Amino acid sequence: MKKNFALALSLVFSLAVVVTANINVNNEPVAVGSTVADFKLPDVMGKEHSLASLKGSKGTVLIFVSTGCPVSNAYNERMEKLAQDFKARGIHVVGINSNVTESSDTIKAHAVENKLSFPILKDKGNKIADRLGAQRTPEVYFLDSANKLVYQGRIDNAQNAAMLQTSDLRNAIEEVLAGKPVSQTQAKAFGCTIKRAS
Amino acid sequence: MRRTITLTLVLSLSAHIATIAMAQWRASFTQARAAAVSGDSKTKLPTVREVDAAGVKKLLQRGEGTNARPLLLNVWATWCDPCREEFPDLVKIDEDYRARGLDFIALSVDDVAEINKGVPAFLQQMRAHMPAYLLNTPEPTVAINMVDPTWGGEVPATFLFDRTGKLAFKHTGRIKPDELRAAIDKVIDEK
Repeated sequence: MKKNFALALSLVFSLAVVVTANINVNNEPVAVGSTVADFKLPDVMGKEHSLASLKGSKGTVLIFVSTGCPVSNAYNERMEKLAQDFKARGIHVVGINSNVTESSDTIKAHAVENKLSFPILKDKGNKIADRLGAQRTPEVYFLDSANKLVYQGRIDNAQNAAMLQTSDLRNAIEEVLAGKPVSQTQAKAFGCTIKRAS
Repeated sequence: MRRTITLTLVLSLSAHIATIAMAQWRASFTQARAAAVSGDSKTKLPTVREVDAAGVKKLLQRGEGTNARPLLLNVWATWCDPCREEFPDLVKIDEDYRARGLDFIALSVDDVAEINKGVPAFLQQMRAHMPAYLLNTPEPTVAINMVDPTWGGEVPATFLFDRTGKLAFKHTGRIKPDELRAAIDKVIDEK
């Protein structure tokens, strides 16, 4: 009996070690398949939000955005449509602005001007960009309901919407909503460098 | 009375001549601007060649063999502020190192519509003479991974390959000229 108890305890302990190791809490970029630890950032009004408070019941799309990057701006309408299309289906879109060159007031005015209704958080000191390993705008981190990273990279293949061929992010979201594994977990595109605090 | 008529005639004639001269000046100015955009022979814009992902692979494999030289690749776009800001430094580096054995390629990721407009116009403004290309591909991931699998596609991005084709130095964001020059010195000095 004692032996069985010790074995069970040992198994539980081993499992806990494996789960903890898979949650990203240090500064290594988050790899697809690992879990993003909760974080807090202020919105453009200065109000703090946690990832837990903003996440969707089925998943969360974190998008690193910029007010001045022409590539990010080329996606304004597509990002807003994405947020609207999937909100009722349990997927929430959250913008993160890590550019040291763009103030909360600028981000607020830009969101109003471009009719962006999803929350945009200000990542002062690019702490979350560093934690996730984000390098450009726009860049997507799509988390499932358990905050596990299931897709990372571009929104789609074409900055110019007329050249659109592959809606990588939408495909990943549809697969998650259908309970399927994401077939394409990473895709790249050209974008602007995140302007980090020196 | 005669004097008044003569004066009026002279003034009228002068005004007429001035109007014609102004119209001619305007026409020549418009022609010069049009020539700058269209690439007319007198103000010929630099040539920018279109490449796809396979073309990028060929560019990276250039000079394989005994004549191989180190290669500096700058990926940029006219819509990118830090790309434009760092370009004068890159032009200077090209001028300083070309004769010392460095190949330099500027690869634009602008929309293909800019291949005969904004891209060559900017290169001309910068007095840039390195070979210039524009990447036109529906699938950027392939080209990005071909240059460097750890690169996400953010621009500007500058890559230095040694004469064996191995990536010796890379920098994303605006270059630090001293740092880049030190890396170039090192690969040029390697025998």
